[in-house]
Amino acid sequence: MMHRVAALFVRIIPVLILVSLGTAFLIELVPGDPAVAVVGAEGTPEQYAAAREALGLDRPWFVRYFDWIGGLLRGDLGRTLVPPVQDVASLIASRLPVTLEIAVLSVAFALAISIPAGTWSAYRYGRAFDRVASGISFGLISIPSFVLALMFIYLVVFTPESVTVLIVAVSATAAVGLASAARRNNAASTARERRNRILAAIGILAVGVVLVLVMPDFPRQGFVRIGEGGLGENLRTVALPVLVLGLAESAQLTRVLRSDMSTTLKDDFVLASRAQGMPTRHILLKEALRPSTFSLVTVAGISFGRLLGGTVIVETIFRLPGMGTLIVESVARKEFMVLQAAVLTVAALYVLVNALVDISYLYLDPRTRHVRV
Amino acid sequence: MSVSERTDEPIRGNPPADIGTGTVRISAGHHRKRRRGTVHVRRIGLWLSVGWIGLELLAAATAAFLPLAEGRNPSSTLDAPILASPSPLSAHPLGTDRQGLDILSGVIYGARTSLTVGFGAVLMGVAIGGLLGLLAGYYRGKIDVALSFLNDSLLAFPPLILLLALSSVVQPNLRNVTVALGVLAVPTFFRLARANTMTFSQRNFVLAARALGARSSRILLRELVPNVLASTVAYAFVVVAVLIVAESSLSFLGLSIQRPEPTWGNMIAAGQPDLEKHPHLVFVPGVVLFLTVLSLNQIGDWAQRRWDPRGRKL
Repeated sequence: MMHRVAALFVRIIPVLILVSLGTAFLIELVPGDPAVAVVGAEGTPEQYAAAREALGLDRPWFVRYFDWIGGLLRGDLGRTLVPPVQDVASLIASRLPVTLEIAVLSVAFALAISIPAGTWSAYRYGRAFDRVASGISFGLISIPSFVLALMFIYLVVFTPESVTVLIVAVSATAAVGLASAARRNNAASTARERRNRILAAIGILAVGVVLVLVMPDFPRQGFVRIGEGGLGENLRTVALPVLVLGLAESAQLTRVLRSDMSTTLKDDFVLASRAQGMPTRHILLKEALRPSTFSLVTVAGISFGRLLGGTVIVETIFRLPGMGTLIVESVARKEFMVLQAAVLTVAALYVLVNALVDISYLYLDPRTRHVRV
Repeated sequence: MSVSERTDEPIRGNPPADIGTGTVRISAGHHRKRRRGTVHVRRIGLWLSVGWIGLELLAAATAAFLPLAEGRNPSSTLDAPILASPSPLSAHPLGTDRQGLDILSGVIYGARTSLTVGFGAVLMGVAIGGLLGLLAGYYRGKIDVALSFLNDSLLAFPPLILLLALSSVVQPNLRNVTVALGVLAVPTFFRLARANTMTFSQRNFVLAARALGARSSRILLRELVPNVLASTVAYAFVVVAVLIVAESSLSFLGLSIQRPEPTWGNMIAAGQPDLEKHPHLVFVPGVVLFLTVLSLNQIGDWAQRRWDPRGRKL
């Protein structure tokens, strides 16, 4: 396994170098002069030249790039060019946790929804639950994140009463639908299925009532760090962004899992298990789920990597101090050092996540453990 | 999407994989016939989607001749009502924004931008990426290694930074935005065309053509291009949807076409401060954007089931 990880890193280093070189070149193209921001608009040409020399801007971009590489190898990420002068490392250290928290929570939320929904959809392929779930996920995939975010803000923050109405309406519809399905006496449903439907209807109503009762107020924007306002405040500020990002991801993951799972359920070992009289829950969760999660893990890994790059749109709408806005700001201000460090951090994390996904295949499918690449 | 539906249209020359495999489902109701409703609903959804995109294309093409309120010229809006709510029978059926600009005509002119950018960029991606992918997949060897390395690097590069840098260097007008997004679409189509070319090159009809003495140019043009193109075009609709979202996201961030020239994204961005009191400023363009993306996804889904040799796989 170690040689796999090593091989991965050997392959990835040229890409990282190319990406950082490209970043250095692109930021050179961006118009604007940090020296103006340092000296002010009223400076003399000599002052500008002195400021440029002090910042090292008088040298060509590739010389500065190699300087930066040298600093990186010594563990020094440099300082911002424009005042207030900050350590780039501490700047990243203040931004990265925000992005990390949101990415982790969004993916966790998406998995928590999509694993049960995808599994059940595959089991009930073409039936009512599957059709409703597929319809919802198809719709969610088609909503651009900023429209979804503004919709949530409008509903949850500006008209909280509409959320109550919505929750009541959705849970009541689902419960009535389930209850009427349970009453319909057709040959295909057993007494047990009917009982489960009634229980599910009661459960949905209970969840709806609890949601309505405990729904807290969510802030329109901003971010409270755990150290400043405690965990509760922190979670309140990230709830809406996580919901927006997580819902979109969960739709995609549900579709992926449903399609893989429905293939697995046609396998002989599932039929064998069924013939032995294994309970459905055991077959679905203990036997069929693991071999069906390859695409799920891959797509979840890609999503996670993308979320780590910062989601500029969501960060902008909810005014979150994350990596995405840091990158946008540093391009606009020509903050060469900050941009390089941010891009490298994001790219390295992306690589790490991909490596973890690769390693997870070894766990998911024992057959791949002994294959050399 | 159901198994039976997927196989009712045999894919050209490629026997569907699930013929003859005894499909046993563990569901209690597996012996029941599938309800007929699903297919009808899907068909209706597909036709509605085609209708919506057709309507938008028509409106966008004829926008200049439509009896729209004199709404998109800021100098002629001085007497227009500001922040009017939507009312179907008035001069401004979908209301007006803070500058008194008519939202209906904004949405229609926005459709023009979005559709031009989406389809234009995809056309560019298919032309460049598809051609290079075809060559790389057919000839393999050094040319494939070089093109694939370039492609992977382009794919690994954070697209946001590319777009940010581009938008500060060049004027973000219709042509430049289309070209920028087209460049971003190239790697996707390169991979797709390369993979499909490699699959088709293995097939017997290519071997047969070669045995008959066909030269590479003939095999490429007459045997591979039609097959690869069909499966690439099947994927193109989804990419159009993705690029339309990308364009409106850029407009929303103020990095694409600027106001007063309307795009869905910049209309939503402009309406954002008034979200609480006048939600229609955000949600009219938002819903139009959503319906467009939904329709394109719907059509793309159908096209992939119809034409993609590997079926619907992500």
